[in-house]
Amino acid sequence: MRQWWSKVARALGRRRNLANELQLEMEAHLQFLIEENLERGMPPEEARAAARRHFGNAASVRERSYQSWQFPTIESFLQDLRFAARGIWRARVFSFIVILTLAVGIGANTAIFSAVYAVLLKPLPFPSGERLVWLGESSAKASGISVTWINFEHWRMENHSFESMAAFQKADLTLTGRGQAVLTHAGVITNEFFRLTGSRPILGRLLTASDDEPRSVATVVVTRAFWAETLSADPEIIGKTITLNGTAYIVIGVLGRDPGFFLPPVDYYLPLRPSATQTSKRDAHEWMRVLGLLKPGVTLSQARSDLDMIMQRLAQADPGPESDHRAFAELLTEHRTGDLRHVFLVLMASVCLVLVLACANIGGLLLIRMTTRAREMAIRTAIGAARSRLARQLVTETALITLIGGAFGIGLAGFGLRAIEVLGPRDIPRLSEARLNLPVLIFAAALTLAVALVCSLVPLVSSEKVNLTIVLKESSTGSGTSRIGHALRGGLVIAEIAVAVILLFTSGILLRSLWAAEALNPGFESKQLLALELQLPPLPYKSEGAILDFYGRLEAALRAQPGVESVGAVNCPPAAGDCRDWWYSVVEKPTPGPQDVPVTLVNMADTAYFRTMRIALVAGRAFSDEDGVGRPTVAVINEEIARASWKDPRSALGQHIKVGGPYMEGPVVEIVGVAANVPQIGLDSPPLPEIYLSANQRVDAALVVMIRTKGNPESMIATVRQTLASIDDNVPIQSLKTADTWLGATLVQRRFTTLLLVLFAGIAVILASIGCYGVFNYWVSCRRQEIAIRMAMGAGTIAILRRTGRQVARLGVIGLVVGLTGSWGASRWLDSLVFGVSTHDLVIFSSAALAAFLIVLLSAAVPLWRATQIDPIEALHEA
Amino acid sequence: MSTVDNLPNDRLELLQGTLEVLILRSLKLQPNHAYGVSQFLQQQSDSQFLVDNGSLYPALQRLLQCEWISAQWKTSPNGRRARYYSLTPAGRKQLVKATSKWKRFALAMARILAPEG
Repeated sequence: MRQWWSKVARALGRRRNLANELQLEMEAHLQFLIEENLERGMPPEEARAAARRHFGNAASVRERSYQSWQFPTIESFLQDLRFAARGIWRARVFSFIVILTLAVGIGANTAIFSAVYAVLLKPLPFPSGERLVWLGESSAKASGISVTWINFEHWRMENHSFESMAAFQKADLTLTGRGQAVLTHAGVITNEFFRLTGSRPILGRLLTASDDEPRSVATVVVTRAFWAETLSADPEIIGKTITLNGTAYIVIGVLGRDPGFFLPPVDYYLPLRPSATQTSKRDAHEWMRVLGLLKPGVTLSQARSDLDMIMQRLAQADPGPESDHRAFAELLTEHRTGDLRHVFLVLMASVCLVLVLACANIGGLLLIRMTTRAREMAIRTAIGAARSRLARQLVTETALITLIGGAFGIGLAGFGLRAIEVLGPRDIPRLSEARLNLPVLIFAAALTLAVALVCSLVPLVSSEKVNLTIVLKESSTGSGTSRIGHALRGGLVIAEIAVAVILLFTSGILLRSLWAAEALNPGFESKQLLALELQLPPLPYKSEGAILDFYGRLEAALRAQPGVESVGAVNCPPAAGDCRDWWYSVVEKPTPGPQDVPVTLVNMADTAYFRTMRIALVAGRAFSDEDGVGRPTVAVINEEIARASWKDPRSALGQHIKVGGPYMEGPVVEIVGVAANVPQIGLDSPPLPEIYLSANQRVDAALVVMIRTKGNPESMIATVRQTLASIDDNVPIQSLKTADTWLGATLVQRRFTTLLLVLFAGIAVILASIGCYGVFNYWVSCRRQEIAIRMAMGAGTIAILRRTGRQVARLGVIGLVVGLTGSWGASRWLDSLVFGVSTHDLVIFSSAALAAFLIVLLSAAVPLWRATQIDPIEALHEA
Repeated sequence: MSTVDNLPNDRLELLQGTLEVLILRSLKLQPNHAYGVSQFLQQQSDSQFLVDNGSLYPALQRLLQCEWISAQWKTSPNGRRARYYSLTPAGRKQLVKATSKWKRFALAMARILAPEG
């Protein structure tokens, strides 16, 4: 230890001093020897020479004495590092390309990984989030449907697998009494919810079991954001009331941190109190789902069969139409990321391929650089550098350049994340939380190290082959023509082309899917159309008459505005998602078995809706004013449902549909019209069966008023607001935007995924071109003499081209075949992302192949041209 | 490289770790310079030990690092300035320890190598 310390002290302070002292000491030593020799009677010159001889190699003595003061590994490492930095600086262009390539590869990987980490990997912000389970019911036709209150009660009381369970649903309520009426969003929950999500109040208390009692006073726990923004952060808020849908709710608490369970986030939490119907009927479905916390050690399938046993017991005790219903259970982490897992896996795989390309390129560049440095290495070996020392130095150099590239890559990833934040879809949970945090940085560092390791192996493998004498005697081709180097470079070309083909194919498929989705005829005219989404507050709009009256007056007032062509209303406009679905059966057709009852979307539209939207009627008529209350209930069905039951949509007219199917309560409606399909879920979803009921007969307070304008719809937005306010300024606007924006929003995620993949494919093409160019160019350089000899022997340009080109073509074809095979395999992965094209689309396969051919052609063009321009005399003189 | 002229062929190579002890021993009676140390060792061993300057100097540096010896510039009896090394108290202690260790070692070697009977 002491020795080590004095070394450190020396190293810090007195190194130079040491050298001087040693020099003086050795001179004194020599003087003693000289004097001794003189005493023996030698002539001075001889005495000096003999003394020198006797002393030995002074340089070696000095060096070995210094070494005892050094930290040999660290110092020679520092020396390597200095040397490496100089080397990097000397070959600036080479280093710039390598660092840029690495930065792109590592940056893209880090950015995508940080998104993957935030969305898929990061633990949920709940205590024991990994044991939280999302519970619903499932039937033969649908899974994850809502849970009824009675079932929930039984689950909660009788299960053996869960520590705790909470029911939850969402509700939209109108807040009044605080300026303009606003639509607010509530999480409606049973009290266990807060414990399961680990929420704490900063003011007051949370909901308790007593708040769940049906007859206790209405209470509300608000989120911190709602408290700060809407309730002006009133420190005395506890005990005060807020008016929601006309009812006063006492604020009992303010949450410290919103659990972020509901998406999009809610403003406050209300206790879930079941209605009389819910507590008496086992099949009274609303929108309720259940959150459960598994006991430690209980698996998901154990929990599922536990709940299924309860469902079976209930079915025996109280048989009904839902006797076949079972529990649906999914880990919350999986439930929240379900489809995204796939998207991100594809993205991650693609970006990994980009990194592979980057590595291949750098490997190729290093190989080439190694051969140009073969002479340098040979000379250094000749003047006494040990092979291990040389190897260590090469590794240091590669590692240093990789680390620089990695550092730049992390910087680049920072920019990438900013771009994701700006451009990325908002509906991906937690994507906005993507940061360059510790796990991401560890990932980036590990990636960089792995790349460094792989890349440093390249020069080692090739330097193994450096044969001193050959390299020194012959030209610089010495190590380049070695068999291993040759195979490696060929492999690089094949790999680069294959990877480029796979990425081109993948992005091509997605690009075509996006085009297909964007070019899809939505079945209605989306230009010059405004959508005004309203939800009437229950007070004063309690009765159906009041609701109908409001919408009637609003539509009339809007129609009266200049610039408005027509106005119609619908409950669930195209691309709004699955607002409501239900079983159905055709009365005139054979009754389906309980397991085979089909499901359809159920929507409500008014008389002018189809005309305003310009949705074509395939058969029959739209709703008319005749279809009012007290008249026979009628329905318009879409083509999809008509084709499912009748060959000719016209034969559907006059037939009847039982909404709810043969086994559930529901109205029987007469089909009066068949309308063209519209994409109800999103532009990139297949058509689904749909029934429209008359909004006059099935009244709903939530309607979207569609306004067809004569000019630019944007310019009408203010008019629409004023018109609404003139009728009732207590009705909050839920949204008001053009139908195009509305529709386009459904493609944001697809656009984003496609954009990223196209970007990756673009990078891949550039990298592959550079990589192939490098290898081809190098080949031609290596063969200068061979080609020169051929030329001197009379070979023409064509012959030279054919010879060199044949090799290029061979590698290109192998790469293409590997790439296309890979694409064929990868296409299975893409299935769920593809829309409107086949995953084995031949056009895309051939485009990818063509693109790869162009890459090879472009990257080979210049080297081949150079090959024909070789001057035989000059080249042969060089030898 | 050789440091001494006319090497007898059967000179002994120093065992690893022995040189330090020998240097400490050579400084036991009086401070000395590097040349003096090498002469002392050669004379005391009847020229059996080959003391190479390439080993001597690093060994002196190591002993300095351990603070078993200290160095200062002095004038020698014949008027030359030289760097004189002397034992520190810690060095004296180390010499005692090492001496007993080497004596035991030599004894054990001798016992094993001694002719049987």
